[in-house]
Amino acid sequence: MRILALMTDAFGGYGGIAQYNRDFVAALAAAPGVEAIDVLPRIAPDTVGALPDRVTQHPARRNKLIYSLAALAAANANRPDVVLNGHLYHGPLARIIARRTGARMISQLHGTEVSHKLRKRHVAPLAHSDIVLTVSRDTLGLLRDQVLSEPDNGMVLANTVQPEFTPGDRQAARARFGLGNQSVLLSVGRLDQRERYKGHNRIIELLQALRASGRDVIYLIAGMGDDQPRLEALAARHNVSPWVRFLGKVPYKHLPDLYRAADLFVLPSTGEGFGIVFLEAMACGTPALGLAVGGAPDALGDGELGYCVTAENLPAALAKALDDPRPDPHSLHDAVQARFGQAAFRSRVASIISSLN
Amino acid sequence: MGFGHRRLAIVDLSDGGAQPMTSACGRYTVTFNGEIYNYPALRAELERDGVRFRSNSDTEVLLVLYQREGEAMARRLRGMFAFAIWDTQERRIFLARDPYGIKPLYVANDGWTFRFASQVKALLAGGRISRAPEPAGLVGFHLWGSVPEPFTLYRDIRMLPAGHTMLVDSRGPHASRSYASVIEEFARGAEKPADLADLPELVRAATLDSVSAHLMADVEVGLFLSSGIDSGALLGLMKDAGQSKVTCITLAFEEFRGTDEDETFLAAQVARSYGAQHIVRTVSATEFNQDLPSIMAAMDQPSIDGINTWFVAKAAREAGLKVALSGLGGDELLAGYPSFRDIPRWVSLLRLQSAVPPVGYLTRSLLRLLGLGKLNPKLPGIAEYGGTYAGSYLLRRGLHLPFELKEVMDPEFARSGLNRLDPLRRIESASEKVPLHPISRVAALESTNYMRHQLLRDCDWAGMAQSIEIRTPLVDSVLLRALAPVAPHLKDQASGKGLLARAPRTPLPDAVISRSKTGFVVPTGQWLSRSTPATASLKGMASRAWSRQVLANFAAPMPTSLHSDVTSVPVHQTLKPKAA
Repeated sequence: MRILALMTDAFGGYGGIAQYNRDFVAALAAAPGVEAIDVLPRIAPDTVGALPDRVTQHPARRNKLIYSLAALAAANANRPDVVLNGHLYHGPLARIIARRTGARMISQLHGTEVSHKLRKRHVAPLAHSDIVLTVSRDTLGLLRDQVLSEPDNGMVLANTVQPEFTPGDRQAARARFGLGNQSVLLSVGRLDQRERYKGHNRIIELLQALRASGRDVIYLIAGMGDDQPRLEALAARHNVSPWVRFLGKVPYKHLPDLYRAADLFVLPSTGEGFGIVFLEAMACGTPALGLAVGGAPDALGDGELGYCVTAENLPAALAKALDDPRPDPHSLHDAVQARFGQAAFRSRVASIISSLN
Repeated sequence: MGFGHRRLAIVDLSDGGAQPMTSACGRYTVTFNGEIYNYPALRAELERDGVRFRSNSDTEVLLVLYQREGEAMARRLRGMFAFAIWDTQERRIFLARDPYGIKPLYVANDGWTFRFASQVKALLAGGRISRAPEPAGLVGFHLWGSVPEPFTLYRDIRMLPAGHTMLVDSRGPHASRSYASVIEEFARGAEKPADLADLPELVRAATLDSVSAHLMADVEVGLFLSSGIDSGALLGLMKDAGQSKVTCITLAFEEFRGTDEDETFLAAQVARSYGAQHIVRTVSATEFNQDLPSIMAAMDQPSIDGINTWFVAKAAREAGLKVALSGLGGDELLAGYPSFRDIPRWVSLLRLQSAVPPVGYLTRSLLRLLGLGKLNPKLPGIAEYGGTYAGSYLLRRGLHLPFELKEVMDPEFARSGLNRLDPLRRIESASEKVPLHPISRVAALESTNYMRHQLLRDCDWAGMAQSIEIRTPLVDSVLLRALAPVAPHLKDQASGKGLLARAPRTPLPDAVISRSKTGFVVPTGQWLSRSTPATASLKGMASRAWSRQVLANFAAPMPTSLHSDVTSVPVHQTLKPKAA
């Protein structure tokens, strides 16, 4: 089976979607029956690095027209059996190629792109895909709201957690971030004005009450963005500025230690397509808490892995989660790996792709 | 992985027929709703091959057949069925539903968990399936008066199409596959019509064979008897098949006494002529109002019909029956409805002008302007819809027409639902598969729309709620194969109902044959009119009022998030914490 992958970015890309794409391409390359994968990225700002066997990545082409011509040329040259429509916006191009070559089509939805009304030209490629992969059950529901496929072509392929997120030396990790004996709440995520749904403010607003009830709690916020001034002002208004620390962007290689250092990972977000950060925290042995909204319940295993609570229950659940004994980090790590580890991801991808044979 | 089952024991009353049932080898487990009428023959055949059975139940035959023949086994079954077989070795589920869709089979896949059940309500009861609405389901209800397959009122719950099988494994559900098609059967019949001279014998032999098959039971099989030809002929055929004692149930209504719609007199005459025991059960407005809450609670998806079935099944239960035959399906198979005359006529009259779409739209606007819509709200749509089979069918059967939807539901939701349901294309593309003969074409339309989505669904929820298994010998895949070649003759050369009336060795009395069609009619219009007097004057209007009342009983599905009410504690809290 030959696969042509039309992706925004993969190898040499930055961020969650690029990571998901790399994982997906690597899993496809390892699946039985896959002979070759041509990846066509729009951007590749970082070094591309070593590619998995059977994978070729073309040069990045930002320009739409040039990208489309390159994709058509690659399709003509390599006659794919499967076209991978890696982003909503690549749908029309992917469909043209699939029809010209008679290839099957897999589309990917990463989360938030189906939360607004889709244009007609983006609906048809989804409706005519053999498979539409969504990152969570919630995204699958949003897809079905807008796209009717008969028979239903939607399937969930969740994010996978990277192997470097493991439990480790907690004391050393805490020392690295200068932490004493306080209970540490941690959020990791961009502080973008357009992504206020992530809910850092909800934690800041609850901090005073948590401290007043005798808990020595501080709140670490990793990530940067234009919403930081608002959050700083909010902390000041609630008189909790000394206990809210903005860490800025924490380098990826330091993230495992940051998660290990925390007592509870929190992200009371209402807009996660999935919420990979929950997995990363729990894979490091730190319990996680999120809202039962959007894709977060998937990452939290409907409450079997992490705390999955309603917005109304957040204050009580937060206090309870801080008071609960810390779980055995290795058991939590193993439970996360069993569902969301690379092995589980690869076997899921292999079974998905085998169904196209 | 879990199967559950509640049984109405009819074949092998012992616990040998209990479900879920696991095969002798332990590899397969089945849960099954329905009856396999050719089970004795299948069993005999399998026993000749050395298979030893542990029970006398048709359920066990499913396990053995699947073990030996895999998915192809569905073609071997004659009956009404929806079942699931779990294969512990391959770790997959095989689901199948009968060719006509007599038994329902709803499925839901949220991307993590696959669920199935014989009712939508059972799936919702678990609390883990999204109640996000399916606009196509709601639009379908407003257009037809029942929710058309594969849709339900809920986005994430669909019906496995009739005559389809499906595999579900760790990957999730695979696309369902058709193994039998009512439409294709009518198409084959239209391609190779039977010889005109053979029709009487053909109808006699095929209907007798079907009735005989449908009498298979370890309990008494009764009959719903109206004053029509279908149920009357069934009674004669039951006698011909050798059943000496037959209990017949007929509904009577005070409101109909002395009118054409009173079934009791002719029904009694039919019962008498075949020497059957006849029970006339009178239903009053008071009883209707008393039962209404139970009816609404039992109704699985909204339907504007089914009241008749509720009461006749109730009467059957009171008479001590567990199984009854129904004449349902005779009109579809043997061209008994006025639609068989009207639809081809409208299409040939209006075909040309329907090729110019603005004509229909303008006519509709003009007729509505003239106030003709008040007389009959569907009338203005005649020019717009009458030129195609699908459009005419919608005119004939529709509760509302598409242009009226914005008056009964949110316009944006209606638009979305119409897009998704795409009713005309859906029906037209199906009926185009039967191009050769207008009667066969209408028969296919009626069988796969009104009968499948409305009549058979109503039979199921209303019968099951009364613990009565309703069997339909005139809705049978073997009978269909035999009689589809008859349909092309039913316009001019022969009367389908006449053939059926003469199928029993003792033909039906002439009074029954000459009487115009009524079927089981219930005066819901009059009963309802007491609460909504303004709408009672017209039958169609009464249906509309009733549809609103029915729908009001289905809490409007809310587009809420799937997990909004879930609060749970992680498993690690149940794990013993190790020393920190």
